[in-house]
Amino acid sequence: MSQRNRLGAGGRIDRKRPLRFTFNGVSYQGYAGDTLASALMANGVDVLNRSFKYARPRGLVTAGADEPNAIVQLGASEAGQVPNVRATQQALYEGLVAKSTNGWPNVDRDLMGVIGKLGGQFMPPGFYYKTFMSPASAWPKYEQYIRKAAGLGRSPIENDPDIYDHMNHHCDVLVVGAGPAGLAAALAAGRSGARVIVCDEQEEMGGSLLDSREQIDGKPATEWVAAVLAELAALPDVLVLPRTTANGYHDHNFVTLHQRRTEHLADVAPAADGRRQVRARMHKVRAGRVVLATGTHERPLVYARNDVPGNLVAGAVSTYIRRFGVIPGQRLVLSTSNDHAYRAALDWHDAGREVVAIVDARERPDGDLVAAARSRNIRIITGSAVIEALGKKRVSAAIVGAIDIDGFSVKGSTQELACDTIASSGGYSPVVHLAAHTGRRPVWREDILGFVSGGVPGQIPAGGVAGRWSLADALGDGFESGARAAAEAGLSTRSFTPPTVAPVREGKPVALYQVPHTKPTMRAPKQFVDQQNDVTAAGIELATREGFESIEHVKRYTGLGFGTDQGKLGNINGMAIAARVTGQTIPDTGTTVFRPNYTPITFGAIAGRHCDEFFDPRRYTALQGWHVERGAKFEEVGQWMRPWYFPQGKESMHDAVQRECSAVRERVGILDASTLGKIEIQGKDAREFLNRLYTNAWTKLEPGKCRYGLMCKDDGMVMDDGVTACLAENHFHMTTTTGGAAGVLDWMELWHQTEWPELEVYFNSTTDHWAAMTITGPNARKLLAELTDIDMSNEAFAYMDCREAKVAGVPARIFRISFTGELSFEVNVQANYAMHVWKALFEQGDKHGLTPYGTETMHVLRAEKGFIIIGQETDGSVTPEDLGMQWCVGYKKPYSWIGRRALSRPDTKRSDRKQLVGLKPLDPQLVLQEGAQIVLEKEIRIPMPMVGHVTSSYFSPTLGHGFALALLKGGSQRIGQTVFLPMADGKVHAAEVVSPVFYDPQGARQHV
Amino acid sequence: MSEFAIFNAHPTVAVQAESPLAISRTTVATAATPEGAGVCLRERALLGHLILRGSFADEAFRTGVEAALGVPLPQSMGRVSRDAARGVSVQWMSPDEWLVVVPPGEDYAVELRLRQALSGHYAVMQVSGAQTLLELSGPAAREVLMKSAGYDFHPRNFPVGKGISTTFAKSTAVIRRVGEAEWELIIRRSFADYLYRWLLDASEEFGIFVAR
Repeated sequence: MSQRNRLGAGGRIDRKRPLRFTFNGVSYQGYAGDTLASALMANGVDVLNRSFKYARPRGLVTAGADEPNAIVQLGASEAGQVPNVRATQQALYEGLVAKSTNGWPNVDRDLMGVIGKLGGQFMPPGFYYKTFMSPASAWPKYEQYIRKAAGLGRSPIENDPDIYDHMNHHCDVLVVGAGPAGLAAALAAGRSGARVIVCDEQEEMGGSLLDSREQIDGKPATEWVAAVLAELAALPDVLVLPRTTANGYHDHNFVTLHQRRTEHLADVAPAADGRRQVRARMHKVRAGRVVLATGTHERPLVYARNDVPGNLVAGAVSTYIRRFGVIPGQRLVLSTSNDHAYRAALDWHDAGREVVAIVDARERPDGDLVAAARSRNIRIITGSAVIEALGKKRVSAAIVGAIDIDGFSVKGSTQELACDTIASSGGYSPVVHLAAHTGRRPVWREDILGFVSGGVPGQIPAGGVAGRWSLADALGDGFESGARAAAEAGLSTRSFTPPTVAPVREGKPVALYQVPHTKPTMRAPKQFVDQQNDVTAAGIELATREGFESIEHVKRYTGLGFGTDQGKLGNINGMAIAARVTGQTIPDTGTTVFRPNYTPITFGAIAGRHCDEFFDPRRYTALQGWHVERGAKFEEVGQWMRPWYFPQGKESMHDAVQRECSAVRERVGILDASTLGKIEIQGKDAREFLNRLYTNAWTKLEPGKCRYGLMCKDDGMVMDDGVTACLAENHFHMTTTTGGAAGVLDWMELWHQTEWPELEVYFNSTTDHWAAMTITGPNARKLLAELTDIDMSNEAFAYMDCREAKVAGVPARIFRISFTGELSFEVNVQANYAMHVWKALFEQGDKHGLTPYGTETMHVLRAEKGFIIIGQETDGSVTPEDLGMQWCVGYKKPYSWIGRRALSRPDTKRSDRKQLVGLKPLDPQLVLQEGAQIVLEKEIRIPMPMVGHVTSSYFSPTLGHGFALALLKGGSQRIGQTVFLPMADGKVHAAEVVSPVFYDPQGARQHV
Repeated sequence: MSEFAIFNAHPTVAVQAESPLAISRTTVATAATPEGAGVCLRERALLGHLILRGSFADEAFRTGVEAALGVPLPQSMGRVSRDAARGVSVQWMSPDEWLVVVPPGEDYAVELRLRQALSGHYAVMQVSGAQTLLELSGPAAREVLMKSAGYDFHPRNFPVGKGISTTFAKSTAVIRRVGEAEWELIIRRSFADYLYRWLLDASEEFGIFVAR
């Protein structure tokens, strides 16, 4: 099919660069510079979709973001699928593939059309709510069917191959919109030296100037646009962002801009110079001032069957003719309430096609454009409007009648004018969405028949959005607003002489929204208000009659203002109709709330690079490379990656852990303990600070000695634990749990800065500075002695001592502490030297049976000893005494400590609190489930008292049976009793309550 | 009994030291030469890093630090004192905290000099193993920073010589501007691989050269 609606000349397309594209499986040709919409129009494709609810054929209505019907599914490949793209906003590229999002099985033969016809009577507002309510269980089935019938776009089912990212900006002035006002504002602000960002959602900057009939400084407006863009490009602190939508406006002038960087090139971002390109970028802009130059959206008139393809808003007709060199049809009828829309008829006439008539709702139109139409001998029918369109898949005629606006009636007889296109204009609505995102309600201005911004601090509306319609006003306002914004941001500005524009005198418009029909609204053919949601004037009337009088209720009941266009086209008309039928004014009726996003944006741009490998940082120790080489399986502990176990060959996790456990108990094992939190404490009051922070006493800890400490929150509940070493009188090395490190340091700073600033002490995290290796097992001393330059004997280096030594030539701090119950040394070296030491240990370690072990083995070994893990045995409701650790609570300390007062409450002294015990399943092979609830009776009834739960549970190769730690009410008094653990599968396990210390209760092994 | 345990972490025998980036692999296409690359990335590995705590109001502390380091103690946010020839810098980190960066292996000697010069309420803490320094340069370096952090890196807000500490991607970084298009990032060891790969990824579109 040739481009039968393409004009021979004119427009901003490149006729030398034809582009092939496919729509609904048919191949077409357009030109570089086309949108998908203009290319489809050029090829005479009238029906682009079926409507949401009634499955009526639908065509193009607008040329921009407000388009309700031309919503397509884009993408040649599955991975490149993009749903709900407005064809009016999609640049054409070679090979573009698009489909209608609606229409089943296709737009031309739509099965839903059958129901659609019935729908005239049978699908009122609330149809789905009313029809599919019961039985509730059937809703998923209904939904599946409705979804298919509704046919909104679909997500790809393959991973998106493209990358998206974010970029942060700070600027003095952000200008949203690059029409006449926006460009003038950017220029004024940019010339002052301000940091300016100017963005525009369209393919090309210039806004209304791109299809204007007017001249600036005696030249075509587009020449002025080119000159301004060239000047802006040369200013170093001005960033020009085309194809960029200000999608969200947040408090404090934080605005997010959605920039589409490659979507005009292909459905998957092509590489540039062999490098991946970012497909879409979210700019996060913190702007001193925002000049809002978003212009206006034209309101169509609401008349019967105004959704038949061939009904357009008037301005779109001019845009298609003047910007894209394409004309919607052969014979035009224009129905208008204002002068400005006459442009459509003039452009149509000047393109050499027939204007059947201009139907003007006013009795005596008399502006310059009216005169221009008269001078072309275009027939003007005054005091009248198009009251109904005829035709099925394309307009065939317009029914025109004289109307009484105040009486909402048609006067006398009507006439039928044969035509294929009806353009309508009911006036212009300022695009106030971004002024409303922060919660300000727009304000109605009767003089312009539109809502304007309710005023946002730091935001300056300029041009059309501020109700300044004429080109001269918009330019002047733009320059003034840009200069004012820069001045308010603290820059000195100069004044400019705005370019000269010949004034165009326009007559006063008349307020006309819904056009009266010869029949009452409820009986007239459908008069569409919101085409995307199939909301009609009758639907709004019905909604108000059923009691939905608030405009927010009308919206939700009818669907007015939902969808991709968010009511850009229909909202004001809908409000005007609601106002009319409820007898209110439009400002009394008010608007619904505009929220981000202004137009749909891809999830990719929201996520940015924070996905896949960058979703969450992975923290590594200095020994990570060795662990990977050794084939470790890893466990995530917070953001840390810790070796979980080191399988040999095809060893299972169970087997590997059993082997690692035995190696530690019988020979020697080594654990990378570098992730443990480490905090260096220096100052003359360091010791006193520890006394107040920990539950136990630190006064007598000598240099060279370590001590285990418990920390409580002020509620007396255990928050962290670890070993702290006294390195010198005023110098301590604290360790915390891996996950608690940052929180403990914050906790210390909080108490120091707010409660005890008089204590002379400083803290700093040294977690990453030290690499820590735990060498543990009967052979630990023998191994270390071979690599160490100090006396490692039990006499010289006792349990809980700390020593400086060289290990494999590297200076180390060695702490003789044990989390396994075995003879154990924790070697700390500066992390840069860790790999050397670790490898040296393995070079010597073979003959001693040195075995690397991971966190799982660590857990088994410590649980055998009844050592707690914060977050496993504790959950923020467990006191030291609940854990049987009263030995670690220093009630005799002279100064109070955090948690002391709470621990003296009767509640924390109750004897029936949950207390830490061991559980030995009666079946020795059984490993209880962690989290399993404990009851006291074998016979299960529901409900029954639950008295505790399993906190840790493993199989012990050393003990030869499964074992568990548990928190049990009054547990310390229940040693020897049998308790029961009912499982989800109906089984009930039995276990004996025992001491939590299963292995070496005397602690002999760690003292050797 | 000494008040503080001063510890020389460096071996006196030859030992292979590994920077935090020892395991990190380049995950994106890189340029073979710095020419034409929008971004150049280079690690300055194994430098000496120390945290210094004390009160700026304490004149003895100020003069002591200056005597020990040879550069004045910076007083306020964003300030970095630097002796480029000796490779010594002192950056204001918080009202009573400074970051001292010195050439490789000099951290112990610098700690001794500081402790000799200072008395009273102060602290010197070794973090040389805890962090590493990356040099980020090139015409697109600022855009890489803008993709990574919310701070304002425009010259008007971030003149040459300034240094800050801020969130960076999902971690943190100390960021210093050392030339028109030259920046230093100081990052934590455990996050180094994540941030390195983040930087390479963010730089890819501009062309990235990784210097050895």
